[in-house]
Amino acid sequence: MTKDFDGDVLDPNYINLADNTCPTREQRANGINAFNGKASELVEKAKNGTLRNCERDFQQNSGCILNFYLTVRVATIRDAAMIIHAPVGCSAPAAIYREVFRRLYTAMNKPMDFDFHWLTTNIGEKDVIYGAADKLRFAIEEAERRYSPQAIFILTSCTSGIIGEDVEGVVNELAGKVKASLVPIHCEGIRSRIIQTGYDAFWHGILKYLVKPPTKRQDDMINVASMLSYTWQDRVEIARLLGKIGLRPNFIPEFAKVEDFETMSEAALTAPVCPTYTDYLSRGLEQEYKVPYFLYPSPIGIANTDEWLRTIGRMLHKEKEVEALILEERAHWVPKMDAIRRGFDKVKEANGGDFQVMGSLGQGRLVTQTPFFHELGVTTPVALCQDFDELLLEDVEHLLKRVGDFDIIVNTFQAAEVAHTARKYNPDMILSCPFQGSAYKREKGMTRIHALRGDGRKWSAQAGYAGAVACGSFLLQATHNMAFQNTMLAKTGDPYKEWWYQQPDPYFFHKKSDGREEAV
Amino acid sequence: MSLTLVTGKSGELKAVEYPEVAESPRFTCALGGAYGATLATFGAVPILHSGSGCGMANAHGLTYASGLNSGGAQGTTTTPCSGLIEEHVVFGGEDKLRRLIDTTIQIMKGDLYVVISGCVPALIGDDVDSVVAEFKDRAPVIHVKTSGFIGNGYLGYNLYLDAVIDSLLTEVEVQKKLVNLLGIVPNQNVFWKGELRTLKALLEKLGIEVNTIFSDFGSLGSIKKIPAASLNLVFNPWCGVEAAQKLEDRFGTPYINFRFVPTGPKDTGTVLRAIARKHRIPARKVEALIKEEEQNTYRYMEYLSEMFMVAMPHSFVAVVGDARTVISLIRYGANELGWNPELAIITDNPPEEYQKEIEKLLTSGLEGVSVPKVLFEIDSHRIRQALKAKPLQVILGSSLEKYIAKTENEAHHLSVSYPVYDRLIVDRNYAGFRGGIAMLEDISHNFAGPL
Repeated sequence: MTKDFDGDVLDPNYINLADNTCPTREQRANGINAFNGKASELVEKAKNGTLRNCERDFQQNSGCILNFYLTVRVATIRDAAMIIHAPVGCSAPAAIYREVFRRLYTAMNKPMDFDFHWLTTNIGEKDVIYGAADKLRFAIEEAERRYSPQAIFILTSCTSGIIGEDVEGVVNELAGKVKASLVPIHCEGIRSRIIQTGYDAFWHGILKYLVKPPTKRQDDMINVASMLSYTWQDRVEIARLLGKIGLRPNFIPEFAKVEDFETMSEAALTAPVCPTYTDYLSRGLEQEYKVPYFLYPSPIGIANTDEWLRTIGRMLHKEKEVEALILEERAHWVPKMDAIRRGFDKVKEANGGDFQVMGSLGQGRLVTQTPFFHELGVTTPVALCQDFDELLLEDVEHLLKRVGDFDIIVNTFQAAEVAHTARKYNPDMILSCPFQGSAYKREKGMTRIHALRGDGRKWSAQAGYAGAVACGSFLLQATHNMAFQNTMLAKTGDPYKEWWYQQPDPYFFHKKSDGREEAV
Repeated sequence: MSLTLVTGKSGELKAVEYPEVAESPRFTCALGGAYGATLATFGAVPILHSGSGCGMANAHGLTYASGLNSGGAQGTTTTPCSGLIEEHVVFGGEDKLRRLIDTTIQIMKGDLYVVISGCVPALIGDDVDSVVAEFKDRAPVIHVKTSGFIGNGYLGYNLYLDAVIDSLLTEVEVQKKLVNLLGIVPNQNVFWKGELRTLKALLEKLGIEVNTIFSDFGSLGSIKKIPAASLNLVFNPWCGVEAAQKLEDRFGTPYINFRFVPTGPKDTGTVLRAIARKHRIPARKVEALIKEEEQNTYRYMEYLSEMFMVAMPHSFVAVVGDARTVISLIRYGANELGWNPELAIITDNPPEEYQKEIEKLLTSGLEGVSVPKVLFEIDSHRIRQALKAKPLQVILGSSLEKYIAKTENEAHHLSVSYPVYDRLIVDRNYAGFRGGIAMLEDISHNFAGPL
């Protein structure tokens, strides 16, 4: 715990906008990248401060705080420009910028301006010796000349960090000389093992450089930070539900306009889709502009959607309207959920009484998705979680009370550990994030846990009541036929040696980190 | 990089101060290129010595960007990576790498392990070669020293071949009719898998054995066989040429550089004749093959001709992409389809010494009166301006042109060069006799319809 000179404990969640960037999740919330045990034990260790980050001897690609996927997200801010201050490969994923959201149906209330802009400073060999500040200056001026953006986001990289680029120096020099607001974001990949640090860094930049003091209150506006793992349909559903009680969402960051960030301070509330993603922003808006927020629950599953709406109702004094809305919605959607549960009953009957689902989740999904599985009547032998920090401690405790103890593995996208765990628990269905290599090859079921933001199909929705039903149907559908997964398993190779699966512990190769005690 | 000029406010031409500062350049970094080449080597396991995001950036920015492809069984989250962070920057990453190589050999199947080092170890001065050398008795491990800031994905392919030649190749007995295919760059050339297959099948018809190096099973075997070739074939005006030269210097293997992969019967015939001559294959044999393939191809062209004459006859055309793709499609369009090439925009940033030759290949040997304007440009904004300034009916480019082709040019569009996010490309390709038909099938689905 950080203490000041008088020995008083400093609030780790105080957001100091005088700083250039946020603390890392490790510093702020004791974020960890590895754990293998019972959820109750995880909570216990978090409480007594014995959770440790760990260094893996065997480690696999997992994304960094720049490329998970700030490059792709920031590029979709409509009247802004993004500059990646990095060698050319760091921005390669952003080459999709003229594609994202394009395939959405025009009937779905999508805005028409899709002209996104970004530049790379393309740091080269000479620059790492002589510095690249001149190039960054040129890039900012060039972005202004070309695109006349409302804001220019400057994203840093491992290389710009190691060679000691003075990004703030350039920003301070040009602020006021260019019309656009300049927003540096410190997302050097080497900063942190925890991907969430990147989002905090992004929100820090937004809070420090973009959000304006309120000129009025917009009592009907709710800030909602949505993520790439929730689709356009989820936005449609959230807007629909809020609309029925006279509220409207201010969706950020993807596909927002700069003005939507500037006016976040005028909102009545900040509500979560994913608590860990929204945390820093919500706290910052509350601290600086007294915008209230809540972090739990997210509108995933019927009960959580009820509770999400009720919380909004309580905070905005719309209890009556919310209760009426819930009644109306439940009358429409609950029978559909019941039908899905009956479908799973049949599947369970044919399967010997149980149907086990293993979800690969972010920590935000951990606290939202697990109750949803219970609504469907399926069980979860183990939850896989990207990372874990103390910000969600209370919510996990709450979850434990609701669903009982369960096994949990925190593993930051480590595919070999996931494969090992999958073999050990052998659940009937694995739900994996997209782009997870060979994870789909199985004898039993496997499907994706979510689609991506540009997917406009109702089939891929997850949020709200419509999303609960769509997602439940999707999972039920996934139990019908495993031919693709089986065939690919039978006909192609496994990248791992059998020896690996024989090791009793998937954390065989973990090492204590930073010279501190054993992690797991 | 050559001088990039833009028009100033009063119409004067002025040099751009930092032409390499660009909107969406059409390549990844050198680490990405070497990573792509390793993933294309079946049986090889890449080990990234880098920050934890380099592999994921290239999963989405390279393999997925080359026709929505997975990186294969060793790609995306399966690829071992040292995930360097601040403490390694301070204390060095060598120990982390040592433990990563050790555990990778224990856990992952593979007959070749390829350590690809990125920006961070280059900046902090890790001695990667020494760490790799420690494993020489345990498994074949090689090191490709890249780092993202030394160059682009094409350079990464060259560096990969360099490391392979230096670390793995020894003199072997030369086989009489065996050729290696070079210059078809995995992922950065989006049709690489299909092109290798097509060329292999064609040459086998002439009785020539083909080592594609990439995409075949047991690639370590293919790699070791490289010096056994009687001839190396390069299909790229610049990338892969150094490797061919190096193989000639070291093993005496001669090479022919065709500079591009042939599309359509005319150029394919020329390529086959040259290879046959070099291998002293009787002319009657090669002519018989060409005649049969030509007859078949043009017979099938008849089926598409009416649609073609309605939808895009004598079109003004721009081709945007890497040099070899642009050359082959400009030539096919001008010499077989009667298209009028207006613009040839080269996006793979060829070194200056190759640019004159590329320009010559794009401005000579073309039928019709049009000679395309040739631009070497990596900046997608300036590319867009250049396209906008021309009346065009067909744009063959990347998926970056997909929507602006319609709205800004009223042109038919097809993605043929990196990045391609709008179509799945497994072994589809436009090489060989029937490559042009395949291209017309693909471009036509957007608009061919009821009268």
